Amino acid sequence: MKTAAVTVAVAGVFLLPVAGPSAQGVNDAQIASTVVTANQVDIDAGRLAASRSTNGEVKTFARLMVTDHTGVNKSATDLAAKLKVTPQDNPTSQSLKADGDKNLAHLKTLKGTAFDKAYIDHEVAYHQQVIDALDRTLIPGATNEELKALLVKVRPAFVAHLEHAKRLQASAAPKG
Amino acid sequence: MGLVAVERPKPKTHTVIIEGMRFQPESLTVARGDTIVWVNKDMFPHTATSEGGRFDSQSIQAEKSWTFTAGKKGEFAYTCTFHPTMKAVLYVK
Ligand SMILES: [Cu+2]
Repeated sequence: MKTAAVTVAVAGVFLLPVAGPSAQGVNDAQIASTVVTANQVDIDAGRLAASRSTNGEVKTFARLMVTDHTGVNKSATDLAAKLKVTPQDNPTSQSLKADGDKNLAHLKTLKGTAFDKAYIDHEVAYHQQVIDALDRTLIPGATNEELKALLVKVRPAFVAHLEHAKRLQASAAPKG
Repeated sequence: MGLVAVERPKPKTHTVIIEGMRFQPESLTVARGDTIVWVNKDMFPHTATSEGGRFDSQSIQAEKSWTFTAGKKGEFAYTCTFHPTMKAVLYVK
């Protein structure tokens, strides 16, 4: 069933008719907010790890996270602006942000291999969580075709990052 | 002394699209002298780097491209140094 298109004017900004909630119960403004928050959380963790880790491979991974998620966020914010969608806070974006803040606070208490392990473990969990959100809510929920296409296009990056993080996790695990 | 007719087809230009963490096509066959253009359609940088050191684009930024002219025959497996899960091969006949 198709939700009736509704045009809503919020604070002088006309949201597109496609911004009504989808069957997944999320609208494009909420999806945009979730995507931007998800990327920002990983950029922040990556920045911390790039400066604090003493492991070359972890540092390289952390810098890659900063570069890739910054690129994704630029595309996502550019698209939101083009579509005149104002990202809107929602339970998913709030929980991602809260989890990200908690992770940063925890990481800041750690050093050396304990830091690396906590950072990488969280990266594995985080990327899996975002892939699940993309598959269950964000991609099926996006009503605007360009937004949906962007989500489909970024998914393989999250998968590759997850594989990369898992590889680091395995190589750091105690041998024998 | 006569003119020597050399059968050499005009060099062609081939395009490899980098998008969604993949090189497309993943396998490409070209002739010596042909040009290959790698176009990065992703939102972040990639590289096209041959394993044997034959070519290395270095970082190709989002929406930018890199061009290489195939000089030597052979099979060149290549990858993205940032994302090693990305693999492809270039055959130069
Ligand atoms: Cu890459």
